[in-house]
Amino acid sequence: VRLYGLKHLRDEAAADDLVQQVLLTTIERLRAGEVRNPDEIGSFILGTSRMLADSTSRKARRREKLTAQFHVQELYADPVVASSDVEVVERCLHRLGERDRRVLVLTFYVEKTSSEIARELGVTGTVIRVARHRALERLRECVGLQRARTA
Amino acid sequence: MTTPARCPQPIAFADVVDYWAGDLTSVEEDRIEEHVFTCAECARELAAAQALGSGIVSVAREGRLHSVVTDAILNRLAADGVRIRTFTLEGSAVVPCAVWADDDLVVSRIRGDFDEADSVTIVAAHLRKLPATRVSVTVTAQIGSDERTIAEYTLEHAGTFSRLAGEH
Repeated sequence: VRLYGLKHLRDEAAADDLVQQVLLTTIERLRAGEVRNPDEIGSFILGTSRMLADSTSRKARRREKLTAQFHVQELYADPVVASSDVEVVERCLHRLGERDRRVLVLTFYVEKTSSEIARELGVTGTVIRVARHRALERLRECVGLQRARTA
Repeated sequence: MTTPARCPQPIAFADVVDYWAGDLTSVEEDRIEEHVFTCAECARELAAAQALGSGIVSVAREGRLHSVVTDAILNRLAADGVRIRTFTLEGSAVVPCAVWADDDLVVSRIRGDFDEADSVTIVAAHLRKLPATRVSVTVTAQIGSDERTIAEYTLEHAGTFSRLAGEH
């Protein structure tokens, strides 16, 4: 649920709030006996996450509109990553080739899609997707992030 | 101790990355979300992509990128409040420069004609770590099968300064 929130809300605090809201809703529905088939609990949680995230996104859009209208300065929260982790990622990131590093930064920091990056670098979107995947695999190996599966 | 069940239809890491990067259609996104919400193994793959992405964001926001950056990256850094000091280097001119302790990032813009080159390599120093010294930036280009130096720039670096207390 947290990953779903991070993907769709792009905000750590909003993702944490979503987890709380989804868990509370799920527990309430379970207690009320509204989830009859335990095998469908995953789908139920996904449905609840989508509904609540949509609502949060709508609120965020309204807030952005108001912020733009009244020029209120936006605050942002730093991502929760330990400084030692950042140093490891930094070291590993700089072991990658120049273009691969740029593709990863444009993807994850600037939040550009592969076709937008492709236009900027003068290659095809497929080239960017393949480069991004390989670069992230190398970064993952370098930082020692284990795989959930071996093959 | 029980071993978690293996996923019978694992989602490839490449697809997980495409999902996280917003490169899938809404139908493909729905398919991945429906799977991940019932599969701990694939959820861990997604968590790995998120953790790596989050690490990259932290490296960029803290001004730790020692590489070529595009205007899109610089604009995003500026929007995030990263303090950027920029020097523009022209061929044959000596550009005076200095770094302040509260600068998050120093950017050197290089001007030159690189049209003929198939690829260029820039060799530069990490300014913040240097004392007062003259710094050379060399650009070598691959033109066909030849590699040659096509431009050299010079920075007269005055070192890294701290501001006095109360000064803005």
